Amino acid sequence: MTGWLSGYGSVIDLVLLNCGLALSQFVVLRAGVFSVATPALASIGAYTAGILTLRTDAGAWAGLLAAAAMGTIVALILSVPLARLRGVFQAIATVAFCQIVLSLALYATDLTGGANGLNGIPRLVGTVQLVVWIVVVVYVLISLSRARIGYAFDAIRQDETVAVSLGISAVGHQALAFALSGAIAGVTGALMAYRNRSVAPEEFGFGMLVTVLAYVVLGGRRSVLGPLAGATLLTLLPELARPLADNRLIVHGAVLMMVIIYLPHGIVDTVLIAYRRRMTAAARATLPNEEARDGSA
Amino acid sequence: MIAQQLLNALVVGSVYALFALGFTLIFGVHHILNLAHGAVFMWGAFIGLYAVTWFSAPFPVALLCAAVVAGLLSVALDWIAFRPLRRRGAPEFSAIISSIGAGLVLMNIAQRMSQTRVMRYPFGTFPIEVYSVYGLRVTLLQITIAMSVAVIVAALFAYIFYTGFGRQIRAVAVNERTASLLGVNPTAVYFQTFFISGALAGAAGVLIGIAFNSVHFLMGEPYMLRAFVVIVLGGLGSIGGAVIAGLLLGLIQTMTIAYLSSDLSDAIIFSLLFIILLVRPTGFFGTLRRERRVARE
Repeated sequence: MTGWLSGYGSVIDLVLLNCGLALSQFVVLRAGVFSVATPALASIGAYTAGILTLRTDAGAWAGLLAAAAMGTIVALILSVPLARLRGVFQAIATVAFCQIVLSLALYATDLTGGANGLNGIPRLVGTVQLVVWIVVVVYVLISLSRARIGYAFDAIRQDETVAVSLGISAVGHQALAFALSGAIAGVTGALMAYRNRSVAPEEFGFGMLVTVLAYVVLGGRRSVLGPLAGATLLTLLPELARPLADNRLIVHGAVLMMVIIYLPHGIVDTVLIAYRRRMTAAARATLPNEEARDGSA
Repeated sequence: MIAQQLLNALVVGSVYALFALGFTLIFGVHHILNLAHGAVFMWGAFIGLYAVTWFSAPFPVALLCAAVVAGLLSVALDWIAFRPLRRRGAPEFSAIISSIGAGLVLMNIAQRMSQTRVMRYPFGTFPIEVYSVYGLRVTLLQITIAMSVAVIVAALFAYIFYTGFGRQIRAVAVNERTASLLGVNPTAVYFQTFFISGALAGAAGVLIGIAFNSVHFLMGEPYMLRAFVVIVLGGLGSIGGAVIAGLLLGLIQTMTIAYLSSDLSDAIIFSLLFIILLVRPTGFFGTLRRERRVARE
C-alpha cells in the first residue's frame, strides 16, 4: 500500500491540485460569469504563501490563510469592473488581467524572483492535506448548490434577465462567486507552492488558463462532480498512455472541440440529465392513474 | 533616435494591424471570437518557410502561397469547429471553447512537424539592403513590410466597401437572417470572411517570420493576446479602427520597450486593454455595425 502510494503519490497530488483549480474555474462559470482569472488568482496565492514562508518562516497555516485572503480580496476587487461587462468581454478582460499579473510577477524581481521564480520553499503539505482541502471545497460547494445561492447561480447563468426579474441580485451573486473562486484558487496556488517547493511564473500562463477551462468543459458546468471528473480524466490520460503524453495539446484540443460540439453539457451533467429523465419516466410508469387524475384536475 | 523608434513602431504596428484585421473581421461579421487565429497565423509562417526551403520559392511566391493555404485552413476551421455549433444555435461560449480546441490541435501538429525547434528562413531569402534616409536606417525589408500591409489593407477596404461581395458581407454583419431573406447566401459569406481572415493571418505570419527570422509553433500566442488589445482599442468589428489601433499598439510597445522594460511593456499594454474595456468598451472608432451588447443592460 505504501509502495503503491509512493509510486503514484506525485500523480495523485497533481490530480488533486488540478481539481482545486478546476473547482475555482467552475464556481464562476456556474454563476454565469465568463471569467478565466483562475491562473492569475492561483499565482497570487502561490506567491503570497511562498514569499511569506521564505521571508518570515511563517508556517503552512499562516501562508494558506494569507493566500486565501489575498485571492479573495483581489477577486472581489476584480469583480467590480467586471460587473459592467458581459460574455466575451469579461473573458477578454480576465485574459488581460492574467497577463498583467504574469508580467508584473516577471518584472518585480526583488519580490518574486522574476523569471527564476521562488525556490527553496519548505515542503509543508502532502497528499493528505490536499485531499482534506478538496473534500472541504467540495463540501462547501455542494452545500451552497443545495441552498438558495446555488439556485440563484443557476438562474443567472441560464437567463440573467429572468433572474433579475425574480429579485436575484446578479451583481451581488457574481461578486460572491468571484470571492469563492479567488479563495479556492488562492489556497490551491499556495498548496502548489508548498507541494512543489517552488513557484514558477510561466506555469501560470495562457496554457494553464486553457487547461483549466478544458477540465470544466469536459466535466460539466452544473454539477460539482463535473470539474473533478474533468480534471482527473485529463490529468490521468497522458499518464496512462505514453503517446498521449507526447501529444498533450492535441488531446486537450480535440477533447475541447468534441465535447463542446457533441456533449455541450459535459460528461457528468449529460449523464445526470439522462439519469433524471429515466427516473422521471420510471416514476410516471408506476403511476398508471396519472393521466386520469390530470384529466379530472 | 526617436525618429528611428517611430519607424520601427510603424513597421511592427502595421503587422499587428494585419493580424488583427482578420480577427476583427470574423468578430464584426459573425460575432465569433476566433481564438484559433493565432494558430492560423503560425501556420502561415510555417507554410511560407516550407515553400522557401522545400520548393526554393522566391519571397513573393512564398507570401502568396502562405496566404492562400492559411485562408483555406481558416475555411476548414470554420467547417469543423464553428459550423456544427452554428447549426445548433449554441451560445458564444461554445464557439470560443471550440476555437481554443482547434488552435491547440493546430499547434500540436506544428510542434510535431518542427520537432519543437525554432526554425529560420534560409539566409538570402530576402535581400538585406540598408538605405539611409535623412539619417534614418531603413532596410528594404521594413519598406516591403509597410508597403505590403498598406496594399493589403487598401485591397480589403475596396473589397468590403466597394464591391457586391463586400455589400453581402456587410449585410450579414447587420443581420444574417435578414440578409439571407434578401437573397444573400450565408455559406458563401462565411467562406469569404474566413478565407480573407486566414489569408491576412498567413501573410502576417510570413512577414513576422522573416522580420524576426524565427518560426516556431508557439509564435501565435503573443500576437493573439496583443490582437485583443488592438481590436478592443479599435472597437470589435471595426476595420479602420483595427488599422489605427494596430499602429498605436506598435508605437506604445516600441516606446515602452525602448525607454522602460520589456516586462513592464506587457503590463502597460494589458492594463490599457483593461481600462479601455471599462471606460469605453465599444472602442474609439466606428464599427461595421454598432456593437451594443458590450455592457450589461
